Amino acid sequence: MLDALSGKFPVSVVTGFLGSGKTTLINRLLKRPDMNRVAVIVNEFGEQAIDNDLVEVSSEQMMLLNNGCLCCVLRGDLQETLRDLYVKRRNGDIIDFTRVIIETTGLADPAPVMQTLMTDEMLQENYRLDCVVTLADAVNGLEQLETMEEPVKQAALADRIVITKSDLAGEEVTAKLEARLRELNPQAPIRRALNGEIELAFLIDVGLRNMKGKLEDIERWMGEPDEHGHRHSHDSKVKSFSLRFTEPLSWQLFSQTMEVLGALRGSDMLRVKGLVNVAGHKGPMVIQGVQHLFHPPVELEAWPSDDQSTRIVFITRNIPRETVANLFSAIGAVTATA
Amino acid sequence: MKPTMSPQAQAAQTISRNMKLISHNELAGFGGVGEGINMQVTKDGRRILWLAHESAPKNFTGVDVTDVKNPKVIVQTDLPHERVRSNSLDVVGDLMAVAYQTKKTGDKPAGMDLFDISTPEKPKLISHFDASGPHSRGAHCVWFTDGEYVHLTSGSEDFEPTHPNDFQFYRIIDVRNPSKPVEVGRWHYPGTHKGDKEAPPPRHPKFDGGYRPHNINVYPEHPDRAYVAYLDGGALILDISDKSKPKVITNWKYSPPYNGFCHTVMPLIGRDLLLVTDECTKDDGIDWPKLGWIVNASVETNLVPMSTLPLPPVENFSKRGGRYGAHNLHENLPGPASFRSNTIVFGTFFNGGVRAFDTSNPYQPQEIAYYVPGKPAMSPKSAVQINDVWVDENGLVYAVDRFGGGLYVIEMTA
Repeated sequence: MLDALSGKFPVSVVTGFLGSGKTTLINRLLKRPDMNRVAVIVNEFGEQAIDNDLVEVSSEQMMLLNNGCLCCVLRGDLQETLRDLYVKRRNGDIIDFTRVIIETTGLADPAPVMQTLMTDEMLQENYRLDCVVTLADAVNGLEQLETMEEPVKQAALADRIVITKSDLAGEEVTAKLEARLRELNPQAPIRRALNGEIELAFLIDVGLRNMKGKLEDIERWMGEPDEHGHRHSHDSKVKSFSLRFTEPLSWQLFSQTMEVLGALRGSDMLRVKGLVNVAGHKGPMVIQGVQHLFHPPVELEAWPSDDQSTRIVFITRNIPRETVANLFSAIGAVTATA
Repeated sequence: MKPTMSPQAQAAQTISRNMKLISHNELAGFGGVGEGINMQVTKDGRRILWLAHESAPKNFTGVDVTDVKNPKVIVQTDLPHERVRSNSLDVVGDLMAVAYQTKKTGDKPAGMDLFDISTPEKPKLISHFDASGPHSRGAHCVWFTDGEYVHLTSGSEDFEPTHPNDFQFYRIIDVRNPSKPVEVGRWHYPGTHKGDKEAPPPRHPKFDGGYRPHNINVYPEHPDRAYVAYLDGGALILDISDKSKPKVITNWKYSPPYNGFCHTVMPLIGRDLLLVTDECTKDDGIDWPKLGWIVNASVETNLVPMSTLPLPPVENFSKRGGRYGAHNLHENLPGPASFRSNTIVFGTFFNGGVRAFDTSNPYQPQEIAYYVPGKPAMSPKSAVQINDVWVDENGLVYAVDRFGGGLYVIEMTA
């Protein structure tokens, strides 16, 4: 009767560099009739904020939109804002929202936003990270990726990447940017959007929604393998790779290995997602981490297919696959097969 | 207007967590339901939900919920006049017991009917158990789960209370021959019957709800125990191994300091715990707090409260209109179509809707789901007043409004 995942409110994090079109995308989404129960958290109600024609009433901190959605300004920290939203929702003080969208500032590192959902117990029980959407502006994206750290991290952490303004940049530049983004994050599917128009299904219900563990849901969440079935990147700094173990692992050895990795190289372990076959457990253990922090593991009801091997996807900064594989071999006494 | 809502807007909005509405039925315009819900599985496999109405003109309604997406009213009966209500019913197999309580003492019909519902469209009266009398208002609640005895909250012809609010007591009615129900035992709170050697019990200083039983629960796992909620008398466990002489084992009397009206005492079978609910009986939060208590019953003679079910703040809900606070539980009745759990508890909280709790850790029960319908179109109240709940063996939740909202069929989504 109780499913540890399905009762939680999905949270989408929309990130992307300055001018990449985050607000335009969110405004588009909010105009959809099926997105009428969304709470949007923005950093400020600036000129670039929510379209005026959407706003019904507003106070200093909150706006009620005419389609039923709620928009609120990040108050204090995100943790406090999400807690406040939850309490007000339960009290029936605000709309009965079913989804949260967080718009980060252009300069933001999305990692702390994601970590907030993993570390606060009350938030952990009531929200789940559904999707990190990173927007990349085709006109300026390549240069931004070359000259600044934040856009690289935003791309590396993404579950979905949306390239905007391709009409202004032209096909050649856009294709170069797309190739560069694919190098940084081969797991995240990439789409192009003009004026924020994009298929809703591409952006929502990316994270695992329940513990049933259907194959399509797992694949959607883990990301796209390339044409050879492998996941690896060619960037000199940001590495993306996967490990696979065919034998069941001891949870103790697995978690010790991850703890050592986190303690020594936490800040360079950008994102980890995986299914772990833990000895003695019926379903796979879902793990996900951002840098040194991991979400408490969730055991799915069953394996999605006959393939019951452990598979973990890593996106790291300057940590090659061999290092992680060797650590598993040394501490966990298991050898990665692929 | 602000983005946060006014009490009226709050009451108009349906709010939910981990529960989703499957269907809604206003019961042919008579959607005021009392606190009697039970499900019959007929010999031809249909599932009939029986509902006792909160007040006249309707007596009870049978709803075919075989297709839960399309509940259909198959029978709806009338009371003989406006001065009586049915309020409570129970079903065992094809036998249904219905309570009748009059507005004034001395009126009729007062007592209980037994119906043959083997053809649910045509309930057939088998017998009437008369509990009328000069000081009686008849019966408020039935508990009927074993097909043999009805545990009845009722007055009687020969019972004269010491205080006018104490007009009902516990009666055990043998219905093994349904055409001739007979009383086999009774118990009343000491001092409430004229002629008792004990002094009358003290009245509640703020809200005199009276000393009467409300729900009397008896389970097949503990056939020698009756769990009795006695309004301002608190929670009692009686030894009924000899039905002719029920004996008090324990009485947890907690009002004052609390505001009385103990409504249900439900054991969480196998866990030495009781779930005790109060009934909120006043609008606008006047008699708050009205709570669901988890009580340690491991030493039966010394009941000790451990925690209460977590509820949203009274400051919000009391402003919406009507009552807000605890009331009925899904009582884990035995029977083929009843959900039974000793950890998951479903309760109704008037304008707080229907709510589910996980009591696995009795010191920290967790709210796991709720459904609060927006103000029903046909209700005279300014907010929904969810009155009672039944949960079937598949976990579907059947919640009813006290005034006009009728039946809400809800599924858990987590």
